[in-house]
Amino acid sequence: MSNRATPDAATQIEIYRRMALIKANDERSRKVIMNGRLVMPYYSPRGQEVIPSAISVNLTDEDYICTIYRGSHDQLAKGLPLKDLWAEVAGRTTGTCKGKGGPMHVTYPTKGIMVTTGIVGSTMPIANGLAWGSQLRGDGRVTVASFGDGAANIGAFHESLNLAAVWKLPVIFVCQNNEWGEHTAYDKTSNVKVADRAAAYGMPGVRVDGNDPFEMYAIASEAIARARAGEGPTLIEAMTYRFFGHVFGDADAYMDKARKEEAMANDPVPRFRAQLIESGIATEELLAEMEAAIEKDIDEAVEFALASDFPGVEELKRDVFAEEMA
Amino acid sequence: MAVEVLLPKIGFSMNEGTLAEWLVEDGGQAVEGQPLYALESEKSTQEVESPASGTLKIIAQIGETYEVGTLLATIE
Repeated sequence: MSNRATPDAATQIEIYRRMALIKANDERSRKVIMNGRLVMPYYSPRGQEVIPSAISVNLTDEDYICTIYRGSHDQLAKGLPLKDLWAEVAGRTTGTCKGKGGPMHVTYPTKGIMVTTGIVGSTMPIANGLAWGSQLRGDGRVTVASFGDGAANIGAFHESLNLAAVWKLPVIFVCQNNEWGEHTAYDKTSNVKVADRAAAYGMPGVRVDGNDPFEMYAIASEAIARARAGEGPTLIEAMTYRFFGHVFGDADAYMDKARKEEAMANDPVPRFRAQLIESGIATEELLAEMEAAIEKDIDEAVEFALASDFPGVEELKRDVFAEEMA
Repeated sequence: MAVEVLLPKIGFSMNEGTLAEWLVEDGGQAVEGQPLYALESEKSTQEVESPASGTLKIIAQIGETYEVGTLLATIE
């Protein structure tokens, strides 16, 4: 690629901050669940930190994202406050959806986090709707739809790409190919690269190293600029690797040990950290201070969430029908 | 303040677990992050780390099955 966009020093540090936040939040989530303080289905995004961090620094609060149940990395990178996140996953009234959405449905329009869904592949048609709205209003917003490699084999993927291409919708389809569709390896269900399918619908499709912040940033920035300029959608296949089993508690015996060890040895978070220090972009002190601040914020968020109230039974029907919206 | 040792939910369909073994004895010193007890659930047994450091006061009995969220011990 020529004229590749490169993140400036401040942006590189911000990408790292988001990655470190996602990693720390994941580690704390697993710890809090293991300590029995919180009961919830949890889908770890560990290993996939770079993708949303390098994409979201190219977005504004007004831009939209749609993500799935393995989505805390997407949500945090887009600016979801930790307290709101923790209160929601703990099912408390102080959460983003008043505790009625839970970890599978975190939604926070203030930062453009329009939907988190538990249905594989369902972000894409929803993203098209949001993008169509933007196109009709001419508000200049773009929508990013995140989904996994398994979702690239369902009908909604093909229908959404087709419609988005025909209508030149301002949407970016981001397939986070972590090599696993739940418990099934990607190569057991697909013969081709996800990115190659873009050609069938007449849109650019690119496979990128989703664990490389520079590559990810460059490709995302180009796709976002294209969407904003009214030139239509792009399909990005970001290659990464899921460090843990599908859901927390999954013993992941089906995952190849050597491949997993290799991926973990190439952990993108400490790798980028070292790179920032080596290139003189950041000092050890700056990053250590940043990480300590993140831990403190997580401490506060967890305690805030667990001290908040559960919604009462009277909340059951509220916010379901228009006349009962609070 | 005492820290509660609660039975975690470590699997999508897990509702209860059996306390297989205490890895620290009653009145012994538990160390945060170190194995505290073995939990059997959904056909597998795994060691669970201690949530805190301090003196362990055991409540739950070996071989008994408890619901998710049960208070198994406290650490002071």
